[in-house]
Amino acid sequence: MDHQPTSDLASAAAGGLPVDSGRSFWSDARRRLARSPTAMICLGVIALYALVAVVAPLAYADWQGDTNYAQANQPPSADHLLGTDTFGRSVLAKTLLATKVAMTVGLVTNLIAIPLGMFLGAVAGSYGRWIDDVIVWFYTTLAAVPGIIRVIALKFAFQGKVLFAGTAWELDLAGMGGVCVALAMTYWIGTCRLVRAETLKLRELDYVLAARAAGRGRLSILLRHILPNVAHIGVINFSLGFVGAVTAEVILSYLGLGVQVGQPSWGGMINAARTDLIVGRWWELTAAVTAMFVLVLAMNILGDRLRDALDPKLRNA
Amino acid sequence: MGAYVRRRLLQAALTVLGVMLLTFVLFRVIAGDVSAQYLGPRATEQDRQRWLAQHGLTKPLFVDTHHAPWSKAFWDSQFVNHLVDSVTFGGRSFRTHERLRDIIAKRGRYSLAISVPALAAGWVAALVIALVVAYYRDTWLDRTGVFLSVLGMCVPFLAYMILGQWLVLKILPSAAWGLGHTTNIYVPVTIAVIASLGHNVRFYRTIILDEVRRDYVRTARAKGAPLSNILFGHVLKNCMLPILTNLVTAVPFLILGSLLLETFFGIPGLGEQMISSITSRDVPIIAGLTFLTAVIYVLGYLVTDILYAVFDPRVRLQ
Repeated sequence: MDHQPTSDLASAAAGGLPVDSGRSFWSDARRRLARSPTAMICLGVIALYALVAVVAPLAYADWQGDTNYAQANQPPSADHLLGTDTFGRSVLAKTLLATKVAMTVGLVTNLIAIPLGMFLGAVAGSYGRWIDDVIVWFYTTLAAVPGIIRVIALKFAFQGKVLFAGTAWELDLAGMGGVCVALAMTYWIGTCRLVRAETLKLRELDYVLAARAAGRGRLSILLRHILPNVAHIGVINFSLGFVGAVTAEVILSYLGLGVQVGQPSWGGMINAARTDLIVGRWWELTAAVTAMFVLVLAMNILGDRLRDALDPKLRNA
Repeated sequence: MGAYVRRRLLQAALTVLGVMLLTFVLFRVIAGDVSAQYLGPRATEQDRQRWLAQHGLTKPLFVDTHHAPWSKAFWDSQFVNHLVDSVTFGGRSFRTHERLRDIIAKRGRYSLAISVPALAAGWVAALVIALVVAYYRDTWLDRTGVFLSVLGMCVPFLAYMILGQWLVLKILPSAAWGLGHTTNIYVPVTIAVIASLGHNVRFYRTIILDEVRRDYVRTARAKGAPLSNILFGHVLKNCMLPILTNLVTAVPFLILGSLLLETFFGIPGLGEQMISSITSRDVPIIAGLTFLTAVIYVLGYLVTDILYAVFDPRVRLQ
């Protein structure tokens, strides 16, 4: 990759030691990550969740209509390992089905937010002047509405809206699509800020000056030299944003602004169970909270390890 | 100094203006016509038009080009009225026709009663724990502390609320049912403090440890200064900048309280108002409250930035 000479230069300058050639920044990071058993366990857990998200909807295709009022609110038993909900449906199946919502929201949100933030941040940083001013003003304005209130406000405005209606890209903003777009509109800001700051630093480095002196255009420098060198910020923020999106989805569903009511989601389960604990029905709440806790924990730890592996500044600390 | 303050003020003003534009676009242009929520199923087109006219929603969006720019009618548009309503907090609820500032005056104190103690207690608790953990770094106490805070920050906030309420019911049933003033406050406050601990302890510990690695700390240790003096005398003072910035970001939530706590415990504060306004699609109130939090956020940042510049000359030069 293009940035390899710089990382070699940097490490050679820092340590003065010979660097074995042919190991790029990314393969180095991969080795560091693979050496950490905790990171590998977390990766395994996340892969398992992803698998469940894909398989569960196939395995429990008829769960939605599988109501049985004679079996409602049963505690865990041999028949239903995690008991049943108010409609007599299996809580185990519900929890597994809800994985799909969490994983989709986490993934889609970040697939919108991270590229958007990286691109706008790099453009702001490398073009400067009025383009920078406009982008900075835009994200400062959005960021001025704090956290969850911004997501709620966006989700409210999106109610009943359909993007690209009538085309193959039709996206109904009422349910999950709206949650993803509202969250993405929030999470791109952090990435954009970091990438812009990093770009401002990179812009002054010798290899970028050399590329400019060699007559490369701004856009070409941006794509070939700046973006690959800020990509690690995107990867780190992906794991952070994933945790944020999964957590926020639960809060939105609790407030009634989340995915559609019939769709099984952990937030919906927690919401449905909020008065259940008092009357001794603990299984639905426990199942949803545990499922979410394990995913968030794995993602948090993996994020920390990713940062350790990818952020050169922290390496010698 | 003057130039720095002027530049910061201009930035803040542009941001506030941007937020007004944002709330207008989001709630008036994108969210669109909410009249159906208030008119009932039998309303005719005439009723709808009357309702829209009553709430100033038939006026032109930005300016009325049928009139000359120097006449008052030219400026009588939805956007200009939105700006005025935002600045004066004079938007009227679609549902109750109350003015936003009256609602804030009535409900704000309930939010503050929960959020101020929660923020203060949470901040002090997190800082004290982070200092202790950082002081004993790389011992079992540190590791346990970090482990617990990572676990703590992975538990969803809703679970804290539901478990907290359940525990209160188990241990002190009378407290939860009687809902005398004090219980009404200390149960949500305790929950908020515990829920915020994990994240904050970890964050503050990282900041403190970053500072501990600096050269001056090594020098101070080398000359034999006691560790507690270094930690509380030098390190804490130098850590205050990021820690205070972190605190400022929480200030807007003082006014709105915790949306979740207020809805869960039925506290009649502004957070609960926000959520119920969203359910009833009460656009002026949603827009006004969103603007209010943004203004407080911008002001909080402005004041901290200026204070930094006063106390730290390096900031002014950036």
